[in-house]
Amino acid sequence: MSLYEIRDMAIQIDGQPLVEGVNISVEAGKCTAIIGASGSGKSLSCLTPFGLTPGEAAGSIKLDGIDLLKANAHQKLKARSHLTGFVFQQPLTALTPHLTIGAQLKEAAAQAGPSALSRHELAQKLERVGLSRADERLDQFPHRLSGGERQRVMIAAAIAHQPKLLVADEPTSALDASLRGEIMTLLDELREEQGLAMLLVSHDLASVENHADHLIVMEEGRVVESGATVDLITRPQDDYTKRLMAATPRLDEPAPDLPATGHSLVESKDVSVIFPKPGWRHGKIKAVVDASLAVRKGEALAVVGGSGSGKSTLGRAIAGIGPLTSGVISWQGEHLPGRRDRDLAMRALIQPVFQDPVASLDPQWKVRDIIAEPLQNLRPDINRPNREVMVLQALCDVGLGEEYLDRTPASLSGGQAQRVAIARAIIAGPELLVLDEATSALDPLVGSSILQLLAELQRSKEISLILITHDIASARRICHRIAVLDEGHIVEMGEMESVIGNPQAAATQKLVAAS
Amino acid sequence: MLALVARRLMTAIPTLLAIILASFFLMRLAPGGPFDGERPLPPETQAALQTAYGLDKPLWEQAWIYISRLVQGDFGPSLVYRDFTVSELVAQGLPISLTLGGLAIVLALVIGISAGLSAAVRAGKAADKTIMMLATVATALPTFVTGPALALLFGLWLGLLPVSGTGDGWSWLIMPVVALALPVSGAIAKLTRAGLATVLKQDHIRTARARGLPETKILFKHGLRPALVPVASYLGPAAAGLLTGAVVVETVFGLPGLGRYFVQGALNRDYPLVLGVVTLYAALIILFNLFADLIYGWLDPRMRDG
Repeated sequence: MSLYEIRDMAIQIDGQPLVEGVNISVEAGKCTAIIGASGSGKSLSCLTPFGLTPGEAAGSIKLDGIDLLKANAHQKLKARSHLTGFVFQQPLTALTPHLTIGAQLKEAAAQAGPSALSRHELAQKLERVGLSRADERLDQFPHRLSGGERQRVMIAAAIAHQPKLLVADEPTSALDASLRGEIMTLLDELREEQGLAMLLVSHDLASVENHADHLIVMEEGRVVESGATVDLITRPQDDYTKRLMAATPRLDEPAPDLPATGHSLVESKDVSVIFPKPGWRHGKIKAVVDASLAVRKGEALAVVGGSGSGKSTLGRAIAGIGPLTSGVISWQGEHLPGRRDRDLAMRALIQPVFQDPVASLDPQWKVRDIIAEPLQNLRPDINRPNREVMVLQALCDVGLGEEYLDRTPASLSGGQAQRVAIARAIIAGPELLVLDEATSALDPLVGSSILQLLAELQRSKEISLILITHDIASARRICHRIAVLDEGHIVEMGEMESVIGNPQAAATQKLVAAS
Repeated sequence: MLALVARRLMTAIPTLLAIILASFFLMRLAPGGPFDGERPLPPETQAALQTAYGLDKPLWEQAWIYISRLVQGDFGPSLVYRDFTVSELVAQGLPISLTLGGLAIVLALVIGISAGLSAAVRAGKAADKTIMMLATVATALPTFVTGPALALLFGLWLGLLPVSGTGDGWSWLIMPVVALALPVSGAIAKLTRAGLATVLKQDHIRTARARGLPETKILFKHGLRPALVPVASYLGPAAAGLLTGAVVVETVFGLPGLGRYFVQGALNRDYPLVLGVVTLYAALIILFNLFADLIYGWLDPRMRDG
C-alpha cells in the first residue's frame, strides 16, 4: 500500500465543484508529479487535503493509515505537522520576513514535537541543502538571501522534522533555468536519503520528467492521464498530454526552419549601464558592461542569461526605454540617442513587449484604446477612421477577432492579454520588437502558441526580434542567433545551433545543461 | 542603525532651522505687537520697550540674534509674563504636556492594536463591522467635542472624575488622556485591521499554517509584526496630532501645560514664547519620526537595508 493514497477526490469551494475524480498515490522513496496548466486544479488537489486552501474535499484520502477526511481535528493537525513537509513556489514570500533563518528552522524542527536542536545541528541542516557559511546564515533575515538560497532554506525547513511526505508546489518555477536543475537534484537526493515520498506540482513538464517516477496530467479539474513517467512520455494516450508534450520546447527536437535575414538593422557598440547602489551606500552596480551586438533585418536574436545577468537592462537600453551609461546604439548606421532624446520616428522603429501581460495593460482601458495608443502618439498623421481600421488589422494579425475590441484586460486570459500587448507593439509598424520574457509567465501550451505567433510575424512582416529569456529551448524555436549574458558581460554569441551544440562559456554550458 | 540615527540628526538641524525661520517671519506678518494692551501705552514707553527687547532692529538681524541665542540654549525672555524667561515657562508646562501626550499614545496603541486585531480575526463578521464603525466614529470626533462630553458625563453628572485642573493622585489625568487618545486609537485600529488583512493572505502565513502552528501563534509570531508597519509610519504624524491636540484638551480641562502658553502666547504676540514652543514641538515631532523609523526597521528587517 502507498504511503499517501487519494481515491476519487472531489473538491469544491463555496459549493462550486472545481476538481473531480482525482486519484493520486505516492509511495515512500518515490516521486509523483502532477502536471497541468494554471487553473487545472493541480495545486488545489495537493493542498486541500491538508486544509491549506479554502476548498472542501470529499472522497478517500489516506496518509500513513490515517483517513484525513474522517480524522478528528487533532489527528488532522498531526498528519499535517508531523508527517508532512511543504515547499511552496515563491521563495521570496514564503518565509516570514522578520524572523531569522535560524528561528524559522527551529520552529520547523519543533513542529512534530519538542526538539532542542543545538545551533550546530541547525547549521548542519542548512549545509545539507547546499548552503555555504551555514552558521552565519542562521542569524540572517530571509531578504538577505538570493531566490535559490531561500528555496534551499524552505526545503531544509520542510524536512527538518523528518516528515514522511514532502509536498512541493511548483518548487522551481520562480527560479531561473540553471537553478531549477540544482534544486530538483537536491530534492532527489533528499528523497532517496530519507525515504521520503514526494508529491510534486508543476506546470512545466520538462523540469520534472527526469525526476518523477509517476506522472498525473490534469486539465480543468480532471485527471486526463496518469501512469509511469517513461510510459507516459514515450506513449502519451490523451490528446491533451500529446499537445502538452509538443508544446514543451526541447533542445533535442529538430532545428526549426527560420526565414532568411537581410542587412544589419540595429547595432549596439560597447553599451554599458551602471546604476548607483540603492540607499546611501557607496559604490556602483555594473548591470551591463561593454555589450556589443547586432540584429539583421528579419533576424531573431535570443539574449539569454540567469536572473540578474543584465539581459533585461540591455534590452531596455536598446529599446530606448531604459538608461544607457555609455556606448553607442545605431540604426542602419545612424546613431540612436538615449531614451529621452529619441524622436517619434525612432520610437516607432523599436517597440517592447513585457513579461507580465496583465500588468502591462492599463486595467481601466478597453482593448481598442490600448492598441490604438501608440498610433495616436507615434503617428499623429493618421486620422480616426483609419486608426480604427489599423487596430482591427493588428488584432487580426495576433489571431484575435473583432469581439475583443471592447473587452478590458481583466476579462482576458494570460495568452489573450499577451496577444493584445503584441498587437499594441506592432500597430505602429516597428521593424524590431524587444520581448522581455514574453512567454515565461504563461503556461507551456499558451507560451508555445505565442512563440508560434512571433514566428508568423517574423515571416509575414519581416519583423526582427530580440527575445530576452532564460529558457534556451524555447528561444531556439524562433531565434537565428544567441547572445549569452553573465554578470553584465556577453560571454558568448553566435549562431544558435553551433552555440547549443558546442557551448564554450561556463554560463552557456550551465544553461544548456539545465534545458 | 547608528548610521541612520546620525543621518537623521544631521538632517534634523536644517529642518528645525527652516521651521524656526518660517515661524519667525510669519508671526511678524500678523498685525499687532506684544505691547498693544487695551489701554495703549504712551508712544515713548512703547519705543523704550521696543528698544529694550531689540524689536526696533531690522527683522533679519532679530532673527539672527534669536538663533544665535537659541544655539546657546537661551530661549529669551517672555514679553508678556514679564518676570519669567521662556525656559522657565516651558519647564512648568512641558512635564504636564509630555505626560498627557505620552500616556495618550500608549493608550491609543493599546486600544487601537487590540481593536484592529480582534476585527481582523473576525473579518467580515458583525463584530468586525461594529469595531470598524466605532473606529470611524472615534477618528471623526474632534477632541473639543469628546473632551467637554466626557467632562459632562463623568465629571458633572456622575461626579467620578475631576473636571478641571491637576488635583491629587492620577484621576485628573484620565479624561484628558482618553479624549486625546480616542481619535488616534481609531486610526490605529483601522491601520492594524488593514495591515493584518493583507499580511494574513501572504505566503509565509501559509508556510506557518503548514507547520501546524496554532492560529494564535501564527497571528502573533508571524502575522502581527509586518502588519504593524503602516501603524509605525503613522506614529510620526500621530505624535504631531497629539501635541497640537493637547492645546485643545489642556484648554478644555484647564491644565497648565505647554498648549495654554502656546495659545496665549500667540494671542498676546509674545514672540519668544511662541517661537520657543514651536521649536520644542518641532524637535519632538522630528524625534518621534526618528523613533517611528527605528520601529519600522524592527518590524520589518527589509527596511534596514534601505
